[in-house]
Amino acid sequence: MVSFKTKARVLAAIFGFAMVLGIAGSVCAAEITADTVLTGISGPKSEDIAGKGDAGAELTGTSNDVTISDASKGLTVQDLVNQAGQNKIGLNFTWTLICGFLVMFMQFGFAIVETGLCRAKNANHTMMMNFMVYGLGLFAYYVCGFAIQMGGCAPVANLGGLYPLNGEHVMTLFGKPWGLFGTKGFFLTGAHYDVGVMVMFLFQMVFMDTTTTIVTGSCAERWKYSAFCVSTIGLGAVIYPLFGNWAWGCGWLSQLGVNFGLGHGYCDFAGSGVVHSVGGITALACAMIVGPRIGKFNRDGSPNAIPGHDLVLVMGGCFVLAFGWFGFNPGSTLGASGNGCLRMGSVAVNTMLAGCTASFAALLYMWIRYGKPDSSMAVYGMLAGLVAITAPSGFVNPVGSCVIGWIAGILVCLSVEFFDRVPKLDDPVGAISVHGVNGLFGVIAVGLFADGRSNYGGSWNGVAGGVKGLFYGDPGQLVAQLIGVSTLVGVIFTMSFLWNWLVDVFVGQRSPAKWELAGLDIPEMGALCYPDFQLKANDYAAVAGSEKTGTLVSK
Amino acid sequence: MRFVGILVVLAGWVVTMAGLIATTSTLSRGLFACAGIAVSLFGIFGILNQYYLGRALWKK
Repeated sequence: MVSFKTKARVLAAIFGFAMVLGIAGSVCAAEITADTVLTGISGPKSEDIAGKGDAGAELTGTSNDVTISDASKGLTVQDLVNQAGQNKIGLNFTWTLICGFLVMFMQFGFAIVETGLCRAKNANHTMMMNFMVYGLGLFAYYVCGFAIQMGGCAPVANLGGLYPLNGEHVMTLFGKPWGLFGTKGFFLTGAHYDVGVMVMFLFQMVFMDTTTTIVTGSCAERWKYSAFCVSTIGLGAVIYPLFGNWAWGCGWLSQLGVNFGLGHGYCDFAGSGVVHSVGGITALACAMIVGPRIGKFNRDGSPNAIPGHDLVLVMGGCFVLAFGWFGFNPGSTLGASGNGCLRMGSVAVNTMLAGCTASFAALLYMWIRYGKPDSSMAVYGMLAGLVAITAPSGFVNPVGSCVIGWIAGILVCLSVEFFDRVPKLDDPVGAISVHGVNGLFGVIAVGLFADGRSNYGGSWNGVAGGVKGLFYGDPGQLVAQLIGVSTLVGVIFTMSFLWNWLVDVFVGQRSPAKWELAGLDIPEMGALCYPDFQLKANDYAAVAGSEKTGTLVSK
Repeated sequence: MRFVGILVVLAGWVVTMAGLIATTSTLSRGLFACAGIAVSLFGIFGILNQYYLGRALWKK
């Protein structure tokens, strides 16, 4: 007896044969058309399934499940082709959504990493900042951020085209078109109430959320909560979406290849630049404006270590983030079928390799330099490697990702020391080093290590062929990446600084010194995170030691 | 000084874009981009941060 699975295979073979006939239609007279009815195909009868069940999985998923447009005609070639298209898009929607859900779960990882690295007296405040970036950022992004970023990104073949997102504001300068911002998709109304647009919105929203949560780390333990709220809305509504548009929404950076012959234009597979550098650079601007925590620096400028209160949270959170990164990077294929999506395995392995090698490199560096394998820096190392591989993950090979990871692991250690000792910027969770510095390194790494073997539908950013870095023969790609870095450092920093300076003027960025000494949980949030624990009254000799340390001067 | 610093940061990007438009040589564009990044970093750490360091609470 021929099983129904076998019949389904026969059906697939007939479909494949029909496609071949279609292609060869100009050579031999086509006898199969869209309306051709496929005869002799039958699925299991309902009484078979009702009577026996389907323990062997032979009766489920057969020709019965192909949607027939006209029952009076029966199954046609058009029905089969429609079903194949819907299966592809359904698969891609599912993949993209699940990856988006994983990225959303990274919020938990960021929250507990940051909280663990802060003191217990600020735990509620730090958690609440991480908690509310979701609500505040989402709302800002829904209102206008998504439209500014992705309003002109169509067509996106893997998600069914996204044709409603077809409005990019373009300015012509020096004879070249410069895409500046999107104009379609505000509030997701009208034509943008569309199944594909919704998938794209969710996936891009959780990326934006990652950016906003980076800033909360660098300003933790002294950031006024109201200032955090206003600052986050500006970042999610305008600053992040603008750079996102230039890189991912058909904006001018992505067109550097088409317009100026620089490789494939600015390439950022999953967001070392768009997500992490924007977050890290905004964190730098905010940390500068907010200033260091009381007790971080002595009067002679030497830094003090202020240990976090829970390394279990820090390392556990790091694993949550590493897990979520498998949504972040492989999900950026925006599908599991078509246009090179099968590189998702390669992307995932690159992600894993860079994170692990970076962690190992940071651990070795600290062990050799200070005699102990520092756990916080091992965590920073893993996160730095993951950040650095985010942009190149879709374009490099495993050896390249290992090298990127090694460099990132060492770079984050040097960077943390640098920010402590030279510009004397207080960054309680290392956000500037992990996300800002290594995000920029990741952008440059594309221009160095991309091996030209990736092929996402034959082209990237409108330029045919795979993306190649300097080491594989295309110096133009490195220049495109450097222009991206210059834009991040020059334009995004300026926008972030000016926005947060305005927040400082009108709202005030810094909590009063008295609140900071007491811990921000009660003054800002009205509740302790650990009410049953007796916390240390003050870590830095309280008010009595102010003259000695020179640190307790209220604003 | 704060606004001088931010102008210098932005000027770095202008240098990069000037290189992109003024020449077609990949090497020259790369050099302009590196110079632009250096100018922006000088604006951030050499001017802006110095301004904030001069007013740092821990120095008082």
